Amino acid sequence: MSDRTANSPLGGYLSAAVPGGWFATRDHKRIGLMFAAWTTGALLLGLMFGILPMVRSLGGMEDDAGGVLRALTYQRLILVFMFLAPAIPAVLGHFLLPLQLGARNLALPVFSLWSLRLYAAGLVLALASVLAGGVSFGWTMPTPLSLTGDGVFWLLAAGLACSGFSWFLVGVNIIVTVHHHRAPGLGFFRMPLLSWSLYLGAYLLVMSGLILAIIVLYLAGARGTGRGLFGPDADPLLWLNYFWFATRPVVFFALVPAAGVVFDVVAGIGRKAVTGYRMVVGSMIALLALSVVTWGVHLSGYGQAPHLTFVFSVLSLLGAVPVALIAYSLLATLHRGAIACSAPTTFTVAFVLHAGIAAVMGLFLASPALGAYLNTTMFATAQIDYVMWGGVLGAFLAGLHFWWPKMTGRPVNHPVGRFGAFLYLIGVNLAFFPQVIQGVGGAPVDVGALEPGPTGLTEIAALGWLFLVSGLIVAIGNLVGSLWVKEAAGDNPWGACTLEWTTASPPPVDNFAVRPAGGDPYGT
Amino acid sequence: MIGLAFMATWLPAAASRQAEGVDGPFQGLYVAAAFAVAFAAGLALAYVMLFRRRDESARGAPAGRPHPLYLGLWTLLAAGLAVYALVAGFPGFLDQTVPPYGAYPVGVTARNDGFDFTYPGGHVADTLHVAVGKPVQLTMTSEDVIHGLSVPAMRVHQAILPGRQATAWFEATLADTFDLRSNIHGGEGAALRTALVSHQPADFDEWLRRVSDIFTGRTLAEAGELLYNREGCKACHTTDGTRLVGPSFKDVYGFEFPTRDGKTVLVDDAYIKESILTPNVSVVAGYEPVMTPYEGKLGDKEIEAITAWLKTLSSKGGAAEEAEPEAEGDPAAGDGQEDK
Repeated sequence: MSDRTANSPLGGYLSAAVPGGWFATRDHKRIGLMFAAWTTGALLLGLMFGILPMVRSLGGMEDDAGGVLRALTYQRLILVFMFLAPAIPAVLGHFLLPLQLGARNLALPVFSLWSLRLYAAGLVLALASVLAGGVSFGWTMPTPLSLTGDGVFWLLAAGLACSGFSWFLVGVNIIVTVHHHRAPGLGFFRMPLLSWSLYLGAYLLVMSGLILAIIVLYLAGARGTGRGLFGPDADPLLWLNYFWFATRPVVFFALVPAAGVVFDVVAGIGRKAVTGYRMVVGSMIALLALSVVTWGVHLSGYGQAPHLTFVFSVLSLLGAVPVALIAYSLLATLHRGAIACSAPTTFTVAFVLHAGIAAVMGLFLASPALGAYLNTTMFATAQIDYVMWGGVLGAFLAGLHFWWPKMTGRPVNHPVGRFGAFLYLIGVNLAFFPQVIQGVGGAPVDVGALEPGPTGLTEIAALGWLFLVSGLIVAIGNLVGSLWVKEAAGDNPWGACTLEWTTASPPPVDNFAVRPAGGDPYGT
Repeated sequence: MIGLAFMATWLPAAASRQAEGVDGPFQGLYVAAAFAVAFAAGLALAYVMLFRRRDESARGAPAGRPHPLYLGLWTLLAAGLAVYALVAGFPGFLDQTVPPYGAYPVGVTARNDGFDFTYPGGHVADTLHVAVGKPVQLTMTSEDVIHGLSVPAMRVHQAILPGRQATAWFEATLADTFDLRSNIHGGEGAALRTALVSHQPADFDEWLRRVSDIFTGRTLAEAGELLYNREGCKACHTTDGTRLVGPSFKDVYGFEFPTRDGKTVLVDDAYIKESILTPNVSVVAGYEPVMTPYEGKLGDKEIEAITAWLKTLSSKGGAAEEAEPEAEGDPAAGDGQEDK
């Protein structure tokens, strides 16, 4: 089958005539690709808004503090709610889940289409709100500041609500697909870990997405009418409790699928079965369950009752054990593999480093006295940056490079991809480790870029952003450039065993010519 | 790991007694966490290089199970790290939570344009002054949005919420000036950045005595006006002739008023003193005898200052304020309720 796609057109689902073309398609693969384009757009926007405050710290735009505050607000809102949370489920989930399960499509194709449309609407509305002047009250939108602060909020609120409903649709779609569309013989404990992690994370996508959408709409209502749940008479901590209840799990339901991606990548590049498969599934369940009951660690130092702070500390620290089990399993899977020297390999190492740093930073923030000190400093900002730019983006890029041959039928240039990954690895650490140091020194959370004057650390961070951006340009340019390569990637360039590699690259519209039978996920 | 050697300099120099409850766990966790991350990432890197695919058709080793000993050790180490984070932080947590008995109370009000620090004597300052070696307890509230009070050198971070009271406490160990600001974004234009000045105890007492003496650098009338604002008079008495619970202070000095028991009083120095110390003895007609007596709260000099200030509000106060009060006030101004 592989030589059929040599010499464009790209073939498979990419060039077949399907109902709906691209924009009204219900094909999960096309929707996955379009999600990839949109989330990359969100990532670039976040990147742009992240660079602005850096420019100011280095001496440009001295007198535009308001502009910097708006940039910081939007950077976080767009990155957390439109990249961090949805990227892996929406892009890799849409594209790969049916293929990994041996299904023809996701169970609810209409949900697929509308989740994409809502996502796009959310991003466009958020952009419109920037053009309408934007708001500057910080990405946690605390009341009463968000009730009284200047700016057009309803556009942003509508955008975030669209985003939340889009998560909801993606989550429901994934859950239903896993329950009803597994190939014959593919029991739950024969699913690849990516499918498992998407399935588990989907429950929290559904929960957080709905809560986020609804509370943001309530907030906009309270801002408009001066009444309601989050109105001026409400306790100012009420909003923050709701907000963190919805947002705390985001970090986890983004990192768990990221780990799922990395497990499948490692099994693929190492041609080896995952060690401790059931242990990983159990650890993922434990981590996600803990994420629902630990929102209060973000509120230590906010006048929360001390015994609550302590309980939240204990619950958060429990997470160290599942994280350790997952890390053990990942390293044991790498051990004695036949590891291909490829771009996903470098991204995987970057993921281990960054997710490791983010995880131990979590210990600092959950430690009772230390957390109260660090929680309102840039240390907390840096942790989310490590999760986002380091962990989730690293795994996302590892996955994109790994599955790109399947998605497009074209091979990735690995030396160039590895160079991009290397720049990215250096960039993330140079850009975000200085924030850790500034945070320990007491620089304020979220708005640390408004601290007066450049320190030596700011220049290092600016250099880091330069590396990070160059790395992303090289990596994404390399992927897109591969579309013009004339040779075909082959159906299973990695020699991997999961079901998606048993069909053509790129897959035909119906995915499989013959419905495959499920077996052991990693071919043992 | 990066900066292991310089890590000690990341924290601002410790200047409070409870800093150790934060710095101890920080340094311990940092060393342990740096080794953990370096070990895991190092192992990943080592495996990727060591088990590089040398032959295109090579496959990895057959599926294995987790090694019970290594897995157990690994998990125990991770659990140990978490237990350390909890246990090492616990003394500092208790310390932060429970202020010592008898700590020096300072009230804090946060607003978008700055902090107000109120001392027990009533003095209000926009910087926080404390004495070395004496625990200070801050009772804080915000007048607009959520702010915070953060003094990195003292390891104090506390959010200040509108409509709620937040408390924090610390005990400075060094006499110096430190950065004090809000660490919580309060919107565009929020300017909550000032200083914490810690003095030696004798210097602190001297500072408080100096700033609390309301007569330094003020005329008698200005001191009186300050007392009017600070002592709660303004809750019931206006200065523009508007009637509240009590009569306005506009045009009272030198005027005559009928009292509730049918007499007439002339508002002079003696009547003002009596009305402050024992206000419910001779009450102007039309008002209830409800004012709190200030006997023992205000001294002669303060009353003198208030009197001097009341004269400036009255058309009969006279520029030469020590002159004898004019007798026979204007009967038209008799009821004390006139507007304007």
